[in-house]
Amino acid sequence: MSGRTSGWRWRKILSWLGLLLVAGAALGYYGWTKFFREEPQEAWVNATPESRFRYGSIGGERDAGVPYWIFYVLPRMFPEKLPGPGGYASLGVSWEQGKELPIGFTKKTVGFPRVGNTCAACHTTNYRVSAESNPAFVTAGPGHTLNLVAFFRFLVDCAKDPRFNADNLMREIDLVTDLPWDERLAYRFLIIPMTKKRLVEREKQFAWIYRKDFTDWGRGRDDSMNLTKYFMLELPMDDSFGPDDIPPIWNLKKYDAPGTTMNHAGDSWDAHSVIIDSALGVLGAPPKDNDEFLGHVKWLQEYLTALPPPRYPFEIDASRAEAGKVVFDQQCARCHASDKTGRRMALAGVDTDRARLGTWNKSNAIAANKVVSKMGIQRKGLVEEELVGYNPPFLDGIWVRAPYLHNGSVPTLRDLLRPADQRPKVFWRGYDVYDQANVGFEAQSEGARRVGTKHDTALRGNGNVGHEFGTALPQPDKDALIEYLKTL
Amino acid sequence: MNEIFGATDEQGWLARLFAHAWVRVLALLLAIPTALAVLVAIFLLPRFLADRPVEYSAIEEHFKYGSTGGERVSGFPYWIFQAMPGVCPKLLPGGWPSLGFVYEEGRDLPVGMSRRNYQGVDRVFFNCAVCHTSTVRETSEGKARIVLGMPANTFNIFGFTRFVFDCAKDPHFSSEFVVAEIDRLMQQRGEKLGLLDRYVVYPVAVALMRERLLMLAGRFAPLLQDTEWGPGRNDTFNPNKILFNFPISALPPGERNAPVDFPSIWLQKPRQGMQLHWDGNNIMAEERNKNAAFGTGTTPPTIDLVAIGRLEEWLLTLQPPAYVFPIDQSKAARGQVIYAEYCAGCHGANGREFSAPPGTEQRECVNGNDDDLYGPRVGKITRLEYIGTDRRRLDSFSYDLAANLGTVYAGYPYRYCHYRKTYGYANMPLDGVWLRAPYLHNGSVPSLRALLEPTKARPSVFYRGNDVYDPKNVGFVSDLPEQGGRTFWRYDTTQLGNSNTGHEGKEFGTYLSPQDKDALIEFMKTF
Repeated sequence: MSGRTSGWRWRKILSWLGLLLVAGAALGYYGWTKFFREEPQEAWVNATPESRFRYGSIGGERDAGVPYWIFYVLPRMFPEKLPGPGGYASLGVSWEQGKELPIGFTKKTVGFPRVGNTCAACHTTNYRVSAESNPAFVTAGPGHTLNLVAFFRFLVDCAKDPRFNADNLMREIDLVTDLPWDERLAYRFLIIPMTKKRLVEREKQFAWIYRKDFTDWGRGRDDSMNLTKYFMLELPMDDSFGPDDIPPIWNLKKYDAPGTTMNHAGDSWDAHSVIIDSALGVLGAPPKDNDEFLGHVKWLQEYLTALPPPRYPFEIDASRAEAGKVVFDQQCARCHASDKTGRRMALAGVDTDRARLGTWNKSNAIAANKVVSKMGIQRKGLVEEELVGYNPPFLDGIWVRAPYLHNGSVPTLRDLLRPADQRPKVFWRGYDVYDQANVGFEAQSEGARRVGTKHDTALRGNGNVGHEFGTALPQPDKDALIEYLKTL
Repeated sequence: MNEIFGATDEQGWLARLFAHAWVRVLALLLAIPTALAVLVAIFLLPRFLADRPVEYSAIEEHFKYGSTGGERVSGFPYWIFQAMPGVCPKLLPGGWPSLGFVYEEGRDLPVGMSRRNYQGVDRVFFNCAVCHTSTVRETSEGKARIVLGMPANTFNIFGFTRFVFDCAKDPHFSSEFVVAEIDRLMQQRGEKLGLLDRYVVYPVAVALMRERLLMLAGRFAPLLQDTEWGPGRNDTFNPNKILFNFPISALPPGERNAPVDFPSIWLQKPRQGMQLHWDGNNIMAEERNKNAAFGTGTTPPTIDLVAIGRLEEWLLTLQPPAYVFPIDQSKAARGQVIYAEYCAGCHGANGREFSAPPGTEQRECVNGNDDDLYGPRVGKITRLEYIGTDRRRLDSFSYDLAANLGTVYAGYPYRYCHYRKTYGYANMPLDGVWLRAPYLHNGSVPSLRALLEPTKARPSVFYRGNDVYDPKNVGFVSDLPEQGGRTFWRYDTTQLGNSNTGHEGKEFGTYLSPQDKDALIEFMKTF
């Protein structure tokens, strides 16, 4: 040893260093491959625009995504935390037969396969022409069957359960697939513990959906502005509560008309802003790459701008509809087919449930606009004014947009043409069998009671008052008007 | 290398360390148990790493006793299986044969059970043959002839399920009683349980098996309160929901009580392109087969697709056996004319000619238009309102289940994508129909003769599970509660899921004259 030169010593140190470097680089590459490398989705996903809208990733798997095999086994491990039997189907998702995931659920490999969401999860309508038939899926329609609050709670509740641990999850995963040994180790020691941690962390922001003094959103609704406040703005919980119907997002070109604003209360300036803000909600984090993100937004906007509303799938009595057009022009057009449509309107005179207006204000809008511009994303954004009421909506595809009013408190068009005190006080929403007689979905049938969620108009945010327009029309006029509305 | 890594340094360092006497003693003390542990491991590893099924080169033997891979996850240790009836004698006084298993002479396991040495223990579980093999006798004293591929007319899988769960719950299902019973059985064969098996392997196996069975029993419990399936039937798609762990007690009541007959599995090739299962919910035999293989205990990682592939290949052309009694050919010829008029439209020209038109063998994974699944043609579906048979089986296969089935075998190239919720029952080919009694999907009509009567003239109560043939009515003897020391299962058509209505009226031949019915039945014996 004493005979060695210092050159020898250096060579020894250098060879150690070199070895470490190579090993480190190999390990780094390995880690990147296993945890971050993104692979394109399977080719069929983007084969058609409709398929891209339904199953194409917009980047929601990176941060908000759930590791595929965890997502896969959760309903098997925790069926008691779902609203009913049927796995994810019990959440009222739109699920095409033969598909691995429901519409709006995306599978993408970011290091490892993950499940994210896309707009279609909330914006696809299921309807069935009878109980003895399979559902049709209307792209960009309101997700009136989707029990979003139950989905949010399900993930958090699973993660909080002491049974959510690597031993139990791995046992269940091993029953359905054979992961290579390194992926098993990754799942056991990294992916499962990290998923648990991140899902449990969501509980704080979701505190208001666990409040006993608030009613359930039920199927087809979300407390949209509170979601923005608690997730994007990370504000402390206030006492507001205002779930509203998931809107249709087809035919967006109608919002090109000057002066129109979007969302039920005219909270946002234009389609571009709404798509960005909603997509950011799906991502659950700032985009990794703004150009890529805005590319998805651009595609969505173009697709949805040109997408027509769905046609009524049953017969329409043409002459009665023609008579109904006259009634419509007299009774409805001044708000729903005029320069008032899609514009802000004061609540007074319409007098529908006001809870939704209390969930958002000018300072929220200013704060949210700041958050988004800090991400380096330019958009016209949210309207920096106090809310005054609800925008009279455009009525395209109104036949499939039941239940009605911003909070979905009136099950059918026929009910909407009754004075508030004669509208159903309790009904079940989110059942997909169509009710041609009343124009809407079955809301009182046995199936509706079994599948749907109960809507009690006496509960907070659920009021079915207001919009008492056309309620005094003679019955033949109402019939004609309803026939005409089917044609929109 | 040595120089670079300074091995000479280490040698010096080690030598200095071993200069101390206490180091040498300590090293020795450590070395002895380590060496022992290594030796034991070397001795035990081959046993506990083993994964060897009993294999058969002859395809018939493979069908009867070969493995689908199911013993790995679901297998019963061979000796525990043999011991169970003795451990819980009150629950199964007649032993395994009383459940209608088919035993061949000289065999210690019934047809339909395979055996595999896996992780140190011989394990047994079902294969396809347990539900698709049965026996037929020409007279009550005659010898039972085993027919491969026919519905397991005598096998009571409901009784099996109930017994296994009840026995697992029984206080006797503990290593104390189980090992004692194994001892007794092994002694009869002049064998003896080894020490490791006696004190480690079987006590652990009993505990694990008990835990697993109790878990499954909890999930199954509501189904075992439903209409009993009896021999020859099972509820196919409610247990399938247990695979997804749908809470059975929360299902809509209409989905429950859906027992159906086991089907025959001959002649799969001409069935390609047809809607398979009673309600025609899948067009792909491979998906149907993999799903049925869950019943043999397989999981996606453990299924043996090579072994199942051999069977699939064989079943493409396996023919049903010819009718064993004489056939009046001229009468049959008259019957052929009637058959052509009344039956052939939905059921094919005869017992062999019924294939789907060429080019329809495949169906795209997702195809929004399901209208082409229906029609008055063999392999298509007849809507329930037209066929009028019991609707329970139809309702048991819910849209939600169909959707969930799209997730099965995810990550493999053969993930299911062909399951469809339908609204009727499929028009079946009638090959070997004489061995497929009782009839209709729920086995509610004991004979072909009864099927040609309107519902009110069909027996409202009869007995299932007899393998003695009734050539007069064409079906198995169904009016005897017991015969030759064997007891049969009382089928009550008033129970949920058991209705014998439907498939009746002018178009279904129930208005034909007695002579025409005779002729028609004679012709169907030739299938």
